[in-house]
Amino acid sequence: MKNLKEKKNKKSDKDFLKELVDFFIQIGNLKIIKRRGWLLRNVKNPESIADHSFRLALMAWILGKEKGLNTKLLLKMALVHDLCEIYAGDATPYDKILPKDKKKQKELLKKWPRFLKKDEVQVYLEKRKKEYQSLLKLISELSLKRQKEIVNLWLDVQDGFTKEGRFLRQLDKVENLLQALEYYNKDKCFPMEPWWVQVKETIDDPLLLEFIEALSQKFYKKKS
Amino acid sequence: MPEENFYLTKEGLERIKKEYQSLRNLKKIKSSRENILPLEGENVNPAYLSLQEDLEILERKTEELENILKNYQIIKFPPKAKQNIVDLGAKVFLEDSSGQKVKFQIVGTLEANPFLEKISNESPVGKALLGCKVGEKVDIDSPVKLEYKILKITYEES
Repeated sequence: MKNLKEKKNKKSDKDFLKELVDFFIQIGNLKIIKRRGWLLRNVKNPESIADHSFRLALMAWILGKEKGLNTKLLLKMALVHDLCEIYAGDATPYDKILPKDKKKQKELLKKWPRFLKKDEVQVYLEKRKKEYQSLLKLISELSLKRQKEIVNLWLDVQDGFTKEGRFLRQLDKVENLLQALEYYNKDKCFPMEPWWVQVKETIDDPLLLEFIEALSQKFYKKKS
Repeated sequence: MPEENFYLTKEGLERIKKEYQSLRNLKKIKSSRENILPLEGENVNPAYLSLQEDLEILERKTEELENILKNYQIIKFPPKAKQNIVDLGAKVFLEDSSGQKVKFQIVGTLEANPFLEKISNESPVGKALLGCKVGEKVDIDSPVKLEYKILKITYEES
């Protein structure tokens, strides 16, 4: 059995690089796909999914180190957490309820969407299933070892299985808030309420709460 | 995320105990394969590396759950006379600043998931709701106006 594995590994050396080339080409799509939340709000030239992951990784490294967390793990989590969006797309909580009428759409996007529990749970589970299947499709040609590592990291962020997973899940929303604030800074009509509702209801990490306060000071500094 | 003391519902504790047991079983199965040699001749055996990595992940996750199981506190409902006040475990029916109705159960950080109507007692909204009664309005410190009016408070097992 051991010999078989060894043989297979030796035989697959060239295939292994070819598979990686294909994988990295697919990953490149994350540089092109624009984040849907910004497109819905007519942000000009909005960030891509890769743009978001890049800054999230830096924040995870630096803020995670402050907390004494495993930064290697955090960096990997930040890099894989949105890989599923290559095939699943960048879903937003508004997708199922968005009216066709542009005026109504604009009004709806000013508020954080609320659902009945059964609808909310269904949306959450459907999204999760779609993203999981998309991730499996993306990594299907990689070695089993790599597949397992990527799936484990992704699930950890989804389920908050470890301290690092729980931290990254919250940090993801904080990076998103920072980006929204930057768009707000360029256009004061940008509706900020949904982002503030989201962070005030979901973030409970003390360091991230302090960081959010610092963001608030920076972007809403009153002129004396 | 305060890690010193974990508040859990009975349901949450059961889930963690199950996860812990299945991880331990998996670890036993993996460890029984420890006779795989780290080196094959002069080369590192990839099967060994893969196994070690799996064991490390399992170890990390097991330690995390052990820490939770050592430091948890079950959420107990307050006596009937005090169930008109928001406490841990309460289900709170609210109206938010935009006039939308919303319901949350106040739980510890490990079980919090607003998509499942569960918010952490350490989140700004969760924290502000604790100790409030029906009819009260809760203002959240934020650059935009965030206000929640408490419509109803209940205590019931999920």
